[in-house]
Amino acid sequence: MTIKAGDEFPQVQLKYIPFNAANPDACLSPQVLDTKKDFAGKKVVVVGVPGAFTPTCSAQHLPAYVAKADEIKAKGVDLIVFTSSNDFFVLSAWGNSAGVKDKIIMAGDANGDLGRATGLSMDFSKFGLGPQRLTRFAAVIDDGKVEHLFTEPDPSDVTVTSADNLLSVL
Amino acid sequence: MAIQVGDTIPNTVLTYAPYNPEHADVCSVPQPMNTHDAFKGKRVVLFAVPGAFTPTCSETHMPEYATRAAEIKAKNVDIVACVASNDPFVMDAWGKAHGVKDSVLMLSDANGEFGSAIGLVNDGTKMRMGPIRLARFAMIINDLKVEYLGVEPARGVTVSGAASVIAKL
Repeated sequence: MTIKAGDEFPQVQLKYIPFNAANPDACLSPQVLDTKKDFAGKKVVVVGVPGAFTPTCSAQHLPAYVAKADEIKAKGVDLIVFTSSNDFFVLSAWGNSAGVKDKIIMAGDANGDLGRATGLSMDFSKFGLGPQRLTRFAAVIDDGKVEHLFTEPDPSDVTVTSADNLLSVL
Repeated sequence: MAIQVGDTIPNTVLTYAPYNPEHADVCSVPQPMNTHDAFKGKRVVLFAVPGAFTPTCSETHMPEYATRAAEIKAKNVDIVACVASNDPFVMDAWGKAHGVKDSVLMLSDANGEFGSAIGLVNDGTKMRMGPIRLARFAMIINDLKVEYLGVEPARGVTVSGAASVIAKL
């Protein structure tokens, strides 16, 4: 069953390495991001991507959100989360390479919990990524409820899940 | 039952993004690589890591092989390869981060086929690293037969490190 607007966003635990402002080269301990507890009472944008360091995700999807993170937060968004089926070390390295700092929480769903709970995973085997990967989506969640959900019809492209499109509905 | 010295390595498909010297910063399209086709008749040093971009793998294991790849090849080795459970884009990015160019072939066992076939995988679910992760080991493979196998017994890099492998070449 696939999640849709109006649903409660499922509760799963993702993991991320927080940005260390004092010493950006030193890794802090990984933290759990609970999508129910940590999203309660907040407005959150969650963006799912098929893969860290992949061409579309790296060239188009993430940089636009990094550039527009402040603009998104100025519209009442408390947290921006980028997630994929990679583990949290990979997400952290990807975030570092894109200069994310503390603007976006780069959370890993390596266990596939979010993909299973939302139904938003696809078989990306023919791209060399594996049989169960999060597909490209962007969700606006308000106090746990999915306000908007955009799923990219062709996951190798960025159209409705772009930062600009999110800004237009916020 | 895990693979042992004297066994033939399984015939599985791994993927990799080929190194393109003209476009060193750009990711090339991942290609499939059949282990038997690629390693037949060759001497291969294959080291496996639990995860690209993780502390031990990045600080200790990979750099040793990256800096000593030429030394290894001078001892009658045709291919030095690194394999992990990450996908080929991640392996490519990690290789680039360590400046390996074409000295170390960065292989992806994203489906866990290779690791499962040789019985050297661990469940990383508790660490939120996913259910199938390759263990840390190094192999010397000669014409598809395992000549040396060093499976790391605990945290850290000892029998699977470049120094241990070079001593056996």
